[in-house]
Amino acid sequence: MRPVAIAPLLLAPLLALASCDTDKGTGYVEIKAIPPSANVSLYLDAVKLEPLRNGNAVLRQKVGMAKLQSDEGGQMALLCNIEVKKNRITSVTVSIMSRQPRCLCGRTNAAEPAASRACIG
Amino acid sequence: MTRPIFAAACARLLLAAALLPLVVASAPAPVLAQSERGSAPELNTADDEFSRQLSELKKSFADLSKKFDESAQSLDRLNSAEAARKEIEELRDHVGKLLAAVADNGTVWGLGNKALSRAEEKLKSLQQETRYRQEDRQFLIDRWRELKAATESAIGELEGARKDFAELLRKLQTSEDFIDELLQIREHQRALEVIHKLTDGIRDASDKLKKLLGTIKTPGA
Repeated sequence: MRPVAIAPLLLAPLLALASCDTDKGTGYVEIKAIPPSANVSLYLDAVKLEPLRNGNAVLRQKVGMAKLQSDEGGQMALLCNIEVKKNRITSVTVSIMSRQPRCLCGRTNAAEPAASRACIG
Repeated sequence: MTRPIFAAACARLLLAAALLPLVVASAPAPVLAQSERGSAPELNTADDEFSRQLSELKKSFADLSKKFDESAQSLDRLNSAEAARKEIEELRDHVGKLLAAVADNGTVWGLGNKALSRAEEKLKSLQQETRYRQEDRQFLIDRWRELKAATESAIGELEGARKDFAELLRKLQTSEDFIDELLQIREHQRALEVIHKLTDGIRDASDKLKKLLGTIKTPGA
């Protein structure tokens, strides 16, 4: 076996160790679509979401900041940033009433500047 | 309790990762053949695995329902808002674990959808099957229809559970935040009132869980 091929395999234990970071934990993101029948391709970070059943989804997400994006004809458009906290649920409504989907946060931190304001749980 | 389990899983993962180069180096050829052979059994276990995970989940529902009852009792007795906050935080952890299983990207939910797809595929292929006698084919179709209906019903119940758990988690975190706010302005008495009011919500959640335990059926059981 060539050394180049072996290198990634030797790195595997280190990667496995990195994935064992248990300190941060997981939280939840609830996404509601208005109208519920709206058809929009959504991405939470890099993961494409399944079509929302009855316009609603609850997703398990690692703690930290997540990006909710929509696919606009092959171009990714950022709808909002979502702060995920351990064992808490952050609610977001995606309004698809106009041509451009919009993100409505259940709660935001008013102390932050409006441009970088994230949805919080 | 999760940590030791997770630590053990991590240890196994590390061991597996460390042994991986040896395994790959010593037996590179059969990998493809194994994965080809492995595809059929993997399909076969999709509905079994769903039933197994669902049974496990039902056990967790029962445990959580008991925990809710105990928490409601202890919250009723508590005179310290700080201790109650700890109790609520612990409850959030329990609810979070169940929500993780029934979330749209959770284990049980994913297996349920896989099992449903398998039942649909089987029905489609059996309807085109010509090798078996009519009554034998019909027998298989009927059983798969039953399994599909039971899986759909279980998925529907899980959907309801997800909604209830999400609602409960939201209620717990909002109450916890409000208690925090009250403690910051030293309104201990008012905080205790909020806590005692919350116990009704927790008892209600416990009742819902007990009801769910009675209605949710394990497909194929």
